[in-house]
Amino acid sequence: MADVTPAEEFLQLAGGRVHLLRGGTGEPVLFLHAAGGAGQWLEFHSLLADAGFEVIAPDHPGFGKSDDFPEVEAIDDLVYHYLDVLDALGLERPHVVGASFGGWIAAELAVHSPHRIGSLTLLSAAGLRLPEHPVTDLFLLPPGRLIATMFHNPPPVVDAGADAGPDLDAIIAAYREATSLARFSWVPFLSDPKLERRLGRITAPALVVAPSDDRLIPVAHAKRYAAAIGGAVYAEVADCGHAMYFERPAAFASVITQFLVSHPLAESGASR
Amino acid sequence: MKFSFFHLMPYPYLPDDFDERYDSSALTYPNANFDPKLGSALYARYLDELEYADQLGFDGVAVNEHHQSAYGLMPSPNLMAAALTRRTTQARIMVLGNAIGIRGNPLRVAEEIAMLDLMSGGRVDSGFVRGIGWEYFGHSINPTKSRSRFNEAHDLIIKAWTSEELFSWYGENYEYRYVNLWPRPLQQPHPPIYIPGAGSTETMKFCAERKYTYMSVYAPTRIVRRWFDGYRQAAADLGYVADPERIAFSVPIYVADTDEKAHAEARPVIEWLYRKGLKQTAEMVTPPGYMSPGSLRGVLASGLRGLGGDYQELLANGQAVVGSPATVTERLARLHAELGGFGQLIGLFAIGPSTHEQVLRSTELFATEVMPALRPLGAAQETAAS
Repeated sequence: MADVTPAEEFLQLAGGRVHLLRGGTGEPVLFLHAAGGAGQWLEFHSLLADAGFEVIAPDHPGFGKSDDFPEVEAIDDLVYHYLDVLDALGLERPHVVGASFGGWIAAELAVHSPHRIGSLTLLSAAGLRLPEHPVTDLFLLPPGRLIATMFHNPPPVVDAGADAGPDLDAIIAAYREATSLARFSWVPFLSDPKLERRLGRITAPALVVAPSDDRLIPVAHAKRYAAAIGGAVYAEVADCGHAMYFERPAAFASVITQFLVSHPLAESGASR
Repeated sequence: MKFSFFHLMPYPYLPDDFDERYDSSALTYPNANFDPKLGSALYARYLDELEYADQLGFDGVAVNEHHQSAYGLMPSPNLMAAALTRRTTQARIMVLGNAIGIRGNPLRVAEEIAMLDLMSGGRVDSGFVRGIGWEYFGHSINPTKSRSRFNEAHDLIIKAWTSEELFSWYGENYEYRYVNLWPRPLQQPHPPIYIPGAGSTETMKFCAERKYTYMSVYAPTRIVRRWFDGYRQAAADLGYVADPERIAFSVPIYVADTDEKAHAEARPVIEWLYRKGLKQTAEMVTPPGYMSPGSLRGVLASGLRGLGGDYQELLANGQAVVGSPATVTERLARLHAELGGFGQLIGLFAIGPSTHEQVLRSTELFATEVMPALRPLGAAQETAAS
């Protein structure tokens, strides 16, 4: 199995510091994490890096070890934030892969600045407002039900033992990230009602991936993305929930790397 | 000591399987369980109870705002206050308060309170609250903006009441090019302000700076003591001694002719209040951003998140006061001492599924036997403080 050890970096922007992990060599892939998983380098990331890519995974404002960036209040601010990140990293036109909440950011970035995106991969991205296919209100889910909702095959609950009290630091850290997510997406709920009609602006090759059993963001969202982005390729990963690369890392890494390899940046006139 | 009669206007008719089937009496509790005929009768009954308290000589009658909940049936406290302006004569009409954190248009609150003040002949007290957690779900208001919206709405309302010339308002949450309040309130410079506190040092300082009344929410005595001390300290930091009348202690109270009768009748309604009426999930209590990480840490560390429901514990913790007039008098005098003093007592007498007759009797016993005995307490405290 691939085992790439990432380097940890901090990027200084005007509004604060961005924490990121970087691993592998090859064409750059900017990976925008889901609401969960900030600051984590998982088997999935190693598999992408091992396939010949330089994976750069920043933490969103108010997530992981990144600063809060209080002036980043909504999705439009996040777009400008990531344009700053691209500039600070010297990335002219990288592959952009975004999952769930990060997929929404990736789609908005591609709509705003199509010329900055070498290729676009959306993994069960949030961002569309489809009232007939509502997104589950994850803010109201107790932790136990959240796990059951996220996974096709929920992992067994680890019993911390009767003596283990609640881990205050972990609760506070999770509350901080939930607060950041709420800041950007409480209302409109995890969506930008104007996004769908703007998706035609995207010019980069695009891949849209959905897990077959998504109980958080219904698969209809991914299908709508694929239909609205010109030339987009649609793929489904079987026996998998919204946890995606947490639940089936190899399957997700495989479908993504196949797409990235067949759309080299040089061919699309893109570069770092 | 001043005394007010506070009503939550609960909807007490919960189904027998409520505990097993529902994780809250609010937000997600289906409104198919609301019977409009019963609801209509409840409003008439509850207004009668508030009017009776006025007749009995309570210094204030109080209402508040809750949404999408069987816990409290007053989405608009100002409507209830309007009804009370015409049917009460001497009591202050206390709106405790308008949930300005979740209101879309704070100017409307300024207008309505000004109207109430004029309609009541200057008897209105204006409370401002942030709105509780589940209401940020229910009204789709971003809880991460809660404090900012509250502070801005407060500043705007005060300015709208007190400004005698047209002004414009450009804030983080609200923009008005023309603020020119008609009518203006009767009380000058504006009706007294009440703010509930639940441990936030920011709120203590906010109240102390403006000499607003700081009122407690239901919590164990040792914790309320910390809040009241915090308010007194905030006043001391500003160079003055807090007026006890600016400190209000809120508590459910049940009085009957004997201790035995009181406990037999109070136990089920107190348990209803804490176990069913206030039943809600942790996610509903603290939506993301509703509290700062530091405040949440404090709450978790103090074990306050989630209310207990054990009757004896609630009594021991000062979260309910029950007994004969003599017992209730003695208990409240002791709580007064344990809390370092307070000049206002906000009693909840209509508790959960208690009957109209029980509420009237409890309220009457309190007014005729407990109030006269406790009346001097606040005054003594004031003398000591000056």
